[in-house]
Parts: sequence; structure tokens; C-alpha cells
Amino acid sequence: MASNATVGDGGVNSLVIDGIDAGYGSVRALQDVSLRVDTGETVALLGTNGNGKSTVMKCILGLVKPSRGRITATIDGVEHDLIGKTTEAIVDLGIALVPEGRRLFPKLTVEENLVLGAFRPKARASIKTNLDFCYTTFTRLAERRQQLAGSMSGGEQQMLALGRALMLSPRILLVDEPSVGLAPILVSRTIDAIKELKDQFKLTVLMAEQNFHQAIRIADRGYVIVHGHIAYEGASAADLNNNDIIRQLYLGT
Amino acid sequence: MLDLYLNAIVSGLLLGGFYAAVTLGVAVSFGMLDVVNIAHPAFVILGSYVAYIVNAKLGLDPIVTGVLVLPIFYVLGQAIYQVSYLSFERKGSDSLRGLAFFFGLLFVTEVLLILVFGVDYRYVEAWYIGPTLRFGFIDLPLRMLVPCVLSIVLFGALHLFLSRTYTGRAIAAVSQDPTALRLLAIDPVRIKRIGFGLSIATAALAGAFLIVIQPVEPSVGREYIGRIFAICVLGGMGSLPGTLIGAILLGIVESITTTFFGPSWAPAVGFGFLLATLAFRPTGLLGR
Repeated sequence: MASNATVGDGGVNSLVIDGIDAGYGSVRALQDVSLRVDTGETVALLGTNGNGKSTVMKCILGLVKPSRGRITATIDGVEHDLIGKTTEAIVDLGIALVPEGRRLFPKLTVEENLVLGAFRPKARASIKTNLDFCYTTFTRLAERRQQLAGSMSGGEQQMLALGRALMLSPRILLVDEPSVGLAPILVSRTIDAIKELKDQFKLTVLMAEQNFHQAIRIADRGYVIVHGHIAYEGASAADLNNNDIIRQLYLGT
Repeated sequence: MLDLYLNAIVSGLLLGGFYAAVTLGVAVSFGMLDVVNIAHPAFVILGSYVAYIVNAKLGLDPIVTGVLVLPIFYVLGQAIYQVSYLSFERKGSDSLRGLAFFFGLLFVTEVLLILVFGVDYRYVEAWYIGPTLRFGFIDLPLRMLVPCVLSIVLFGALHLFLSRTYTGRAIAAVSQDPTALRLLAIDPVRIKRIGFGLSIATAALAGAFLIVIQPVEPSVGREYIGRIFAICVLGGMGSLPGTLIGAILLGIVESITTTFFGPSWAPAVGFGFLLATLAFRPTGLLGR
């Protein structure tokens, strides 16, 4: 697997969000949010429901337009301004999102879902290696390649969603709430899978998650978002773990 | 008795092959794109008239004409989808207003054809319209056989495209979750435009088949509205192989009914068959 053709070539793959405001109609969802994810890092965006984690993800992908601020991504050493680009163009740069709720195509088979992930021309070249990787990493998907995605269990669907994002041959992987709707054992497995994908493909990862303990298992650093602004920035996982502010803000103890 | 029965089945098969050609486009637009294009028969009739004009003026084979105008109908379909998208779908009002739009398109096309050509039946000339092959007591009229065989070729080509190409697979996925497609760097509007273009292109060819099978006047298309949507549901929404099987089954059921009980029973038995199938398989024969 180490010879995989789609692995990042050691170039710079990073993401910088600089002072964005965003909202839905008159509802202000984000206020002056800044964060950065450096090459090869796994950064956790922590916070409970309704604090703006998903909105940050949507802003990065152009699904929500920020009213202020800048978002830039550097892919293989080339910097791109993401604001104003369409979602399709942003994804095509090499930024993949595993969306909240997974958003699979329920009436397509596992394999059809995966193959659609390789639509962008850059990913088509490595479809075979990527598909093999998905099937060896997630053996359940290999067993069920002809099964309809909608008929699978939540855990299997989450694996399929991860696999489909991987088929894009991304450089930066965004994961929105991977734990939602999963049993604790499956949450743990999903988090492990994200770590494995990140290592194999040398990805840069930003993960929005409300399950604090699971997220910081694999995160290098993290941000805590409260009521639409960054309330705390932790320089390391240990820093996040042993911090009174975190306990107060996030765990409520 | 046996020869009558076998002949009914064979002519039902041939008729069903033609039904498949008329329905394929709707299997894509209605079954996959979620666009309720009830104007589809109008484009079939338009295809018939194009084949008729070229045949009458230049003497060109109607089916060759049908193939030659595929790109024109493809572009026409793309343009119609774009108008429908900009006017209704983008504003989220496609369910009812979109339906009215396509209903209007059906009548406008029909009335325009009446104004230009009148209500007389038009027919074409081609070498295969007269002769009939005979195997023992089974008759194979070439005017039915040629469209049926070519329908199956058209089905095969479309099925290959939809199941083997990236664009084809995206067409099969687009109505399930357009936003998820965007997250895979695929523009859902472009995909729907291509799918609808293909859908209308198949109507051009189906129209050429129709005028080979029978003389055509502008309102003939109405006879097919119920039938094609019934075949779509019978075969299973979005399943092309299901559509082919559904079309052939309906053709055989109608043909047997016509032979033994008279043509006025054919629609009743055909739709009865649809209801019976849905009672046992609510998603249709091959529906997912």
C-alpha cells in the first residue's frame, strides 16, 4: 500500500481560515473564526451541537458563503483562495468532505458509490489502487460491494462514506461529525479508520467532532468552538486533555 | 388456436421492443432525474415528423434520419432542461409548475404540428415497410422487426453508457442526493442537462420507429402517455433492464388481449397487469 500512487508527494497541503463571519439569513452562526491546519496535521474542531462546527465545514467547501474573512488552501504547494469558488471547484482542488449524516447514494451499490468518488479527472487515474485500498482497509465493503448502500448498517455506511471520500484522491480531508448515530464501539473504530487513512495517504485532516475523548485520541491539536467563535485553542492533545477551560466550556464540569 | 396464440406472443414481443424505445427516455428523465416529462410523447411525434419531412423531400430512410438528428434532439433536450431548471427547479417549485410546464410543452408542440401539417395521417416509404418474413405459421413483419431490433440496440447502448461511464453513473445518482454529488466535484445541473438531452435524443429515434410502424398524426402521442409511465413503474423506477422487460411484457399482454378479446380490452388488461405486479413487487420488477 505504501507504493500508492495517490499519496501526497510531500508538498505543502494546508488550510487557513482567517476571521470569517457567516450566517443563515439573519442568524449569525460564526463570528471571527480563525483556524489553521498545517501539512500532515490532524486538527480537531470540538464543540457540542449547534455551535457552528458544520458551518465551518460548509464555509470551507463553499456551501455557505462567509460575509467576511478569507479561506485559503495550499494544495501541493500552490495556494488557492477558496472564497467565491463553487463547491465542485473546491473539491476538485483535492479537498474532500465526509459529510455529517454520510450522504451516500442509498439506491446505488457499495461499489457504485465508491466509483462515483473517482469522478474528478485527477482521481480517475488512480481508481484501481484506491479501490483496492478501500477494500483491503474496510473488508466489510469488499464483502458487500454489490449491496445497496441504503441497506447497510450505520457503521458500514460510515466506512463507505470514508472510502468514497478517499476515492477522490484528496490532499486535505474534512470529516464532519463521524460519530453521529453510531454505537460507541463503532465510533472508536471510525476514529481509528480516519487515523489509518491519514497515515497511508499522508493526508491533512480537519475533523469536527462532539465526542471529545474520541477525537483527541488521534488529534495533534484542537480548537473548541462555542456559540460561533473559537473559545480555546489547544497546542497539543495533552493541552486539551488537562485543561480547566476545556472542562468548563465543553464538558460542563 | 396454437398458431394464433404464438403469433400474438411474437407480435407482442415486437410491439414491446418498440414500447421500450419510446419509454427509455422517460426511464431516464422520470426514473433517474426526477423530471416528470409528460411531454415526452410530443418529442416522439416531432421525431416522426422530422423523419417524414426528410423522407418526403429527400427520400432518405426514416430511421437513418432518426439517427442523424440525434445530436439536434440532444441539444434541444439540454436547452429545455436548462429553461425548466432556471424557471422552476432552482426556485424549488418544480413539482407542480414543472409539471404544468411540460404539460404545456406537450400541447404547444401538438398544436404547432397541427397548424403546420394539419391532422392528416402522414406516412413514410422504406423497403422494409411492406415485406413480412414467414417461419411456418409465424409472421414477422419487417416494419415491426426492424424497429424492435434497433430498439434493443438503442437500449444496449444507453445501458452501457449509464452503467460504465462516470457521467452515466452520476446520472443514475443525481436525484438521490444532488449535494452529495457536488461534494464529489460533480455539477448536478450539468449531469441532469446531459441526462435530459439523452432522454430527448432517444425520442427522436423512437419517433422514426413509430412512423415506420404506423401512419402518424399530431395527437397520436397521447396514446402513449399512460403506457410509457406505466412501463416505467412496472419495470422499476430508474432501472433500464426493468424498463425493457416491462415494455416487452406489456406488449405481449396487450397483443394477446387484442387477439382474443378485442383491442378495446387491451388498455384495461395492460393496467390490470401493472396493478397486479405492484401488489407483489411494490418497487416494480427490477426496482431497487
